[in-house]
Amino acid sequence: MFNGLFRKVRGNKTGSGEIAKQRLKFALIYDKLEISDDTLRNLHRDMVEVISRYFEIDQAAFRLDIHRSDDFSSLVVNTPILSAKRGSPD
Amino acid sequence: MDGRIIVITSGKGGVGKTTATASIGAALALQRKRVAVIDMDIGLRNLDVVMGLENRIIFNVVDAVKGKCKLKQAAIKDRRIDDLFLIPASQSDNKNVLSPKDMVQFGEKLRREFDFVLMDCPAGIERGFENSVAAADEAVVVCTPEVSSVRDADRVIGLLYARSITPKLVVNRIIPEMVEKGDMLSHVDMVDVLSIELVGLVPMDDHVLISTNTGIPLVLQKKSKAGEAFQRIAMRINGATDLPIEVPQSQDRFWKKIGSKLGLGK
Repeated sequence: MFNGLFRKVRGNKTGSGEIAKQRLKFALIYDKLEISDDTLRNLHRDMVEVISRYFEIDQAAFRLDIHRSDDFSSLVVNTPILSAKRGSPD
Repeated sequence: MDGRIIVITSGKGGVGKTTATASIGAALALQRKRVAVIDMDIGLRNLDVVMGLENRIIFNVVDAVKGKCKLKQAAIKDRRIDDLFLIPASQSDNKNVLSPKDMVQFGEKLRREFDFVLMDCPAGIERGFENSVAAADEAVVVCTPEVSSVRDADRVIGLLYARSITPKLVVNRIIPEMVEKGDMLSHVDMVDVLSIELVGLVPMDDHVLISTNTGIPLVLQKKSKAGEAFQRIAMRINGATDLPIEVPQSQDRFWKKIGSKLGLGK
């Protein structure tokens, strides 16, 4: 009780336990889906390749994450775009 | 470079091998050594989450050993400490995908790239242990002051001697108050039973859990007694062999000492 009160006084700071929970959620998504590092790596490579056909992207900053909401997991791709490529790729 | 390969082992699970590996590795890197820490627990990787690097894994130790990638590609650079690298375990394989012979070869590559290589050995004395020990020059045995842990440590020490490795002992999770009351094995008792050289004494410390919660290295947490103990262990491993071993003390005892110095009774 005093702990809760204390936390309120301090402005509801997030303790390290909460950080642990958030980090575990992410780690467990990967573990449960049983995606091997191999699969993830190939997906990463293929997506960089496809996107690079249309955009000049910063390949080093390309991020591939799996997020989970209540009912489903989603793949989130995040990449800085440097410029669009002109003309059709074909 | 002609790096040293050190296996961190214990026999029993849950005594602090992974924390010890991450902390000693970080401390050595802070002493400007090039360090690789390797998670040898294939199928149950954890060193990555303890170090807060779980989102950066692309290649793993199985890929590196099998030649699927270069050593440099599998070594993930730490976020906070330069010269510290993690080679994570594979989560989807099992321990039999690697052999001790593979590891000896891999060890040669590692020695060329790093000053120190720390192998985080899985619990048990089966294949995972064999693989972790195969390339090692030295060993650190982590043991807590519990009968089960000491017994398993003794077994592992025997197996290491059989491989011509003379291990050193880290006693972890010491609760000084309990030792003083006589309710916990003291490090003296443990050294006596195991007859092995001591390399450090680590007190029980809440900062350890906070460190693994956040993925921030223990040795970077100010005021962490365990963090300080691991730093001294790293200094001893790194050549400061005459650095005295500090025995964890209770606050209570500290005030009593001051009291007796001032001549205030017992």
